[in-house]
Amino acid sequence: MILSDKVLIIGGGVAGLTAAIELADSGVKTVLVERQHTVGGNALDLYKAFPTDDCFYCFEASRFRPGIRKCFYRSALLDHPNLELRTNTTVEAVAGSPGNFEVTLMVGPQYVDPMRCIMCGLCQKLSSAFVLISPQCQPQAVVYVPDQADDNVKEAVEKCPTKAINLEAQPTEEVIRASDIVVATGYHEMKPVGMEEYHYEELPDVVTQLELARMLDPNGETSGQLVRPSDGGPVKHVMMVQCVGSRDENYYPYCSKICCVFALKHADIIAQEREGVQVSVVYMDIRTYDRHERYYRKSRRAGVNFIRGRVQTVSKAKDGGLEVIVYDSLLDRYLKFRVDLFVLSTALEPSAESNEMAQMLGIRTSNGFVASLDPTSGDEVIVGDHVYACGTALGPAEVPESVTQARAVALKILQGRK
Amino acid sequence: MTETDGSERPPATLIEPIDMSTLDASFRREIQSMPDGDELSACFACTTCTAACPIANQWEYKPHQLIRMIILGMRDEVLSSKEIWECLTCFQCQERCPQKVRVTDIIFDCKNLAAEEGKIPDAIRNLARELLEKGQLYVITADWEREDLDLEPELPGLSTEEFKTILRNTRTGRIVGGE
Repeated sequence: MILSDKVLIIGGGVAGLTAAIELADSGVKTVLVERQHTVGGNALDLYKAFPTDDCFYCFEASRFRPGIRKCFYRSALLDHPNLELRTNTTVEAVAGSPGNFEVTLMVGPQYVDPMRCIMCGLCQKLSSAFVLISPQCQPQAVVYVPDQADDNVKEAVEKCPTKAINLEAQPTEEVIRASDIVVATGYHEMKPVGMEEYHYEELPDVVTQLELARMLDPNGETSGQLVRPSDGGPVKHVMMVQCVGSRDENYYPYCSKICCVFALKHADIIAQEREGVQVSVVYMDIRTYDRHERYYRKSRRAGVNFIRGRVQTVSKAKDGGLEVIVYDSLLDRYLKFRVDLFVLSTALEPSAESNEMAQMLGIRTSNGFVASLDPTSGDEVIVGDHVYACGTALGPAEVPESVTQARAVALKILQGRK
Repeated sequence: MTETDGSERPPATLIEPIDMSTLDASFRREIQSMPDGDELSACFACTTCTAACPIANQWEYKPHQLIRMIILGMRDEVLSSKEIWECLTCFQCQERCPQKVRVTDIIFDCKNLAAEEGKIPDAIRNLARELLEKGQLYVITADWEREDLDLEPELPGLSTEEFKTILRNTRTGRIVGGE
């Protein structure tokens, strides 16, 4: 195996991006495959990511090139000589043998060339078929949505000052050879449909933590305003409930690890940045491991109410909003609250892609996540012969953990080379 | 949905829940604004205070529950509880609290607030009256013991008059001696 032999990385979230940049910087030819049009994964929807409370968009470009660290610069992802980025692309089949994989990629039509697009906004003005997923998206380019095509798209193609649009683009199948494969397919936030006590999807004011993050984000649909999704009324009381679907043998038996800090981070933001909003958190136990305990202490100081117990019922209140009855196990009393927003801290579940990849690669899974080959070895990122995994593909992980695992993968791959 | 908007359904619990809107949300701030209440909200309900308490086994509301009740705003329940008056003030809870909550001092604050509202158990009220009248809680009665020990029958130099004046003209007098 020579140093530059190609590595395929599946998934362009925190873990995949880090592994790709680390390997490419070390001189390894790297192909990064992402199913969606832009990279960044779930982390982009977090609004502020703990433990630094930064917006993740700023990490996203290469963190090791100070000149282009900030979001408004074109990402190194496109310019790096060792890194090939394939967005809108899925892995169709894996053949060959460990060390010499033959991977079939289904590359979706690349209507807009990100190397040419300057995001001038002209095409967007002409037709709603052109969308900018976010001003800081990576790669920095407009996305074309064929379903939305109207009569003006042709004009947009002609007027595009850099001739970046090609509506004739077709999906292509590409076969690449790779010596190693890195699975970084991430997680999915569980949608607790059918958990009868919470009435998620039946009551619009019942949301998940990721949905709350969208509401808090100044770039979100509500521009950071906290309003009731049901009627747009003001939010005066937010109640959160922990361990929805986690530590529950009927759903996921494991602790999802990040939801406590995730919830507390939101509780802090609301208690400190939104005037006159009361926050209550219903919990079984708060698991703010390591130094994240500071979030817990901070939110208690900020006046967040913590109620140990479980929710009995959530129902619609007569004057709008919700009525929630909570059993307080410390007081052994039932408490009735009137709340405007009820936020479920749901489990992190394995993404559908993790399972697909595991089957394709013949690797083991555990609770649906990719499983280490030998969990006792200390090399948790090794999941098969020349197959590695990092980030939440392996199980619930926070951002720094995903980064650490991605670097471990890069190290393991480099150790096998000359 | 049918389950949630119908008002005909039987109550989910046979015991009526405590309606939070009827509680006094400002109670927490009131306690917190007192010199000892600074760390009140630091409580994370570990129950160390209750574990340390030598008397809580016969209380309906344990120390950690009293703190939770203050935070939730259960003002009436806390201030009319017998527990705050039965506290031995041994300070074990406060010494052991991992979050530096001044549990005993907060219970003192509660007693002061309760007293201001006239919520004082009879036994305590009687003690206060005794203090107002006699200027001391334990009056020497069995003077033969003093005699056996070769002590004078009366405590030499004992003067309760000044003390009684102070009590009469301060809070004790105002709260229990006002007839």
